[in-house]
Amino acid sequence: MKPDNYERNHALAAEYVVGTLQGAARQRFERWMMVSARVRRQVWYWERRLQPFNGSLPEEAAPKAVWNSIEQRLFPGTAPVASRWWQTLTAWRWSTGIAVLAVFALLLWTPSPPVVTHYVGVVQSQQAEPLWLVNASVDHRLSVKAMPPVQPADGGRDYQLWLLPESGAPISLALLPTGGARLQIDLSDQQVRQLLQSRSLAISLEPAGGSPTGQPTGPVVYQTRLVQM
Amino acid sequence: MAEADDGLVRALARIAQGDRQAFAGFYQKTHRAVFGMCVHLLRDRDEACDVLQETYIQVWHHAGEYHCDRGSVQTWMMSIGRYRCLDALRRRRYEADYDSVSDRQESSAPGPMDNAGNQLDRQRLNHCLKDLDERYRSSIEMAYFRGFTHQELAVAMGEPLGTTKSWIRRGLDVLRRCLDT
Repeated sequence: MKPDNYERNHALAAEYVVGTLQGAARQRFERWMMVSARVRRQVWYWERRLQPFNGSLPEEAAPKAVWNSIEQRLFPGTAPVASRWWQTLTAWRWSTGIAVLAVFALLLWTPSPPVVTHYVGVVQSQQAEPLWLVNASVDHRLSVKAMPPVQPADGGRDYQLWLLPESGAPISLALLPTGGARLQIDLSDQQVRQLLQSRSLAISLEPAGGSPTGQPTGPVVYQTRLVQM
Repeated sequence: MAEADDGLVRALARIAQGDRQAFAGFYQKTHRAVFGMCVHLLRDRDEACDVLQETYIQVWHHAGEYHCDRGSVQTWMMSIGRYRCLDALRRRRYEADYDSVSDRQESSAPGPMDNAGNQLDRQRLNHCLKDLDERYRSSIEMAYFRGFTHQELAVAMGEPLGTTKSWIRRGLDVLRRCLDT
């Protein structure tokens, strides 16, 4: 590593944050971060820039036991702190409410940059091997890329993609490509609405040419949920 | 600084002085986003619980090291959690089965850590990703969201190792030039 190479370090900082800088190279880079303020700032740049990725992920409350374990490890032998209801509830609701109002005010009073939203899903096997990449955009187009390892199903059957609406029967979207091929699917207005609501897709194994009934007849072999970017 | 993040910065300052009450409130306000990210990356709730625990122990010991050059408190928190998840993934090397994301509920309502700055950052990143070559974008997204290594990306995409390395490197370079404009 050349510590004085700004562009090279920027590239390493990016891969450090994305996670592809591995092993000994990652450890060397961490040591270099400890001694170079400039390298640390490059890492912070990428952490800030890619943070919206994290914001697209669903939030989830952790089991209460996690907090109990944290308290036991940090403050062994002491009583747990009692929550201040006004601090944890009311005050937070007010500040959240003010923050939301501030967002609305900003949206109303400042010129908005063009909103570009797209959704991403990775259909994976039980071994976490990616099989299909799904990209959906609000321009009514769903693109599906089959990873090269995806081979045609046994017995001449086809993989069929279904939209799972929040209520009602699955909606057939297409027969899926295999072996690295790509497919573009044009969605109707109603399908876009349903997909934005549920963000859920399923894949079933069907006879060659697709389900003869318009509904899944074979086993549902994969499911995925799109996350908003 | 947005109202929500301002409150978190004040909480961190009090945590740095050993205020357990502030630490409890901070955990309540922030842990859902960190835990959601850990579950998504690790696909294992028990392991996500362990990483969450380690993350907040680190927060308690290092709260005084936060400063605004690190980005928002949210960015700082998520980075601590993310690196711990990546460490856990590398130790495990994908031994766990894939846990479908389909059973998780996603909220579109603004969370406690949402603010106007985050919205604008997201729009900017989305805009730049949209213009990115799809091979580059897919490689970056799979590495970021699933913690894939170069080698795993090469196997998954059926390309030589050098090719996927190059896609990631070029993709991030193009992304940076777009984000800086």
